[in-house]
Amino acid sequence: MLNIGGNMSNEKLEELVKDLTESQLSDGASLSIEKFDGDNMVACIKVEDREEFPVYMTVDEGQLLCITYLFGDNQVDQSRRAELTEIMLMMNVSIPLSAFSKIGSQYIMFGALSPNSNVSDILHEIETLSDNVLDAIDAVSDYLKEAA
Amino acid sequence: MNIFKKLITAVRGGASEVGEAIVDTQAIRILEQELRDSKAALEEAKTNLTAIMAEKMGVDRKVKDLGEKITEHEGYAIQALDKGDESLALDVSNKIAEFEHEINIQQGILDGYETKVSTLKKLIRQTERNINAMDREISVVKTTEKVQQASDLASAKHSGSSSSLKSATDSLERIKERQQKREDQAAAAIELETEENGADLQGRLEKAGIVDSESSGASVLDRLKKRKENN
Repeated sequence: MLNIGGNMSNEKLEELVKDLTESQLSDGASLSIEKFDGDNMVACIKVEDREEFPVYMTVDEGQLLCITYLFGDNQVDQSRRAELTEIMLMMNVSIPLSAFSKIGSQYIMFGALSPNSNVSDILHEIETLSDNVLDAIDAVSDYLKEAA
Repeated sequence: MNIFKKLITAVRGGASEVGEAIVDTQAIRILEQELRDSKAALEEAKTNLTAIMAEKMGVDRKVKDLGEKITEHEGYAIQALDKGDESLALDVSNKIAEFEHEINIQQGILDGYETKVSTLKKLIRQTERNINAMDREISVVKTTEKVQQASDLASAKHSGSSSSLKSATDSLERIKERQQKREDQAAAAIELETEENGADLQGRLEKAGIVDSESSGASVLDRLKKRKENN
């Protein structure tokens, strides 16, 4: 039953990708989108000039997820790790639309939308998430290891 | 066990290295099995509910029939009394007492069924909620796994190495630099445009003879002389 839902969701995602490719963010930045097929299709959305932090988008019956990877455990100053996670947890509520989380060893930021969201809602989400990611990394950079 | 606790087991079981599976497939398999069990239990509960509701309707009918019979016999008893047949009235009254005894028993059974139906309905609602939650969580776990794979694939394709290994602060710096460059370019373009417009205006003023195209020592002297004469 998950697979049937997955296929229907994949169709939905294909449709969204088509619409998004033709759209721009409010500041005129364009989006380049790549699809990764599978049971649960994933779209990798890159915002012009911010290609370093792509937004991964998936849809299932319950929600539409936009995920961006921030940094890995290996980049965290281990002596301040507990402090960092506490700060991220506390920041969560005040960040508009996005929240911190972790997948495996990777810290992420994500936003969840209704699977019935329209293109303008999703564009707003992508734009907000992208802004939030840059702000968040800036905000927690003291807890990351000095760049080599 | 709480569904969230199960999830913690599922997402924690995975390896922590980039590129390795992050989800404990065994844990997911167990979750999926439990989901199937829950769905089977739900189906059974629904079948039970249907059966009990059918039985309840049967008893309902019996109670109603008995009620009607009581009313009917009460009529007979009164008619017997009207005719002065006390003995017949007593027989009918005994019959009514039997019916009333029976209706009490059936009403008790009916109440029992009602309690059962409401309990089953609650159970079904709870099971459905659990199933929906499990469905959603399994889907999210699978999705995050897919996202991880896609991210690995994407970074391998574009840079030959995992971009997640690159420093986030470095990336942020690069983006900021690009943004600054873009802003500088835009500012420079605006400045250039202003200058060009300024030059254009000067040219048009000169052409119209409003502004001297070139001021020379001679022209300045001319001007000064004129001013002196006027004074």
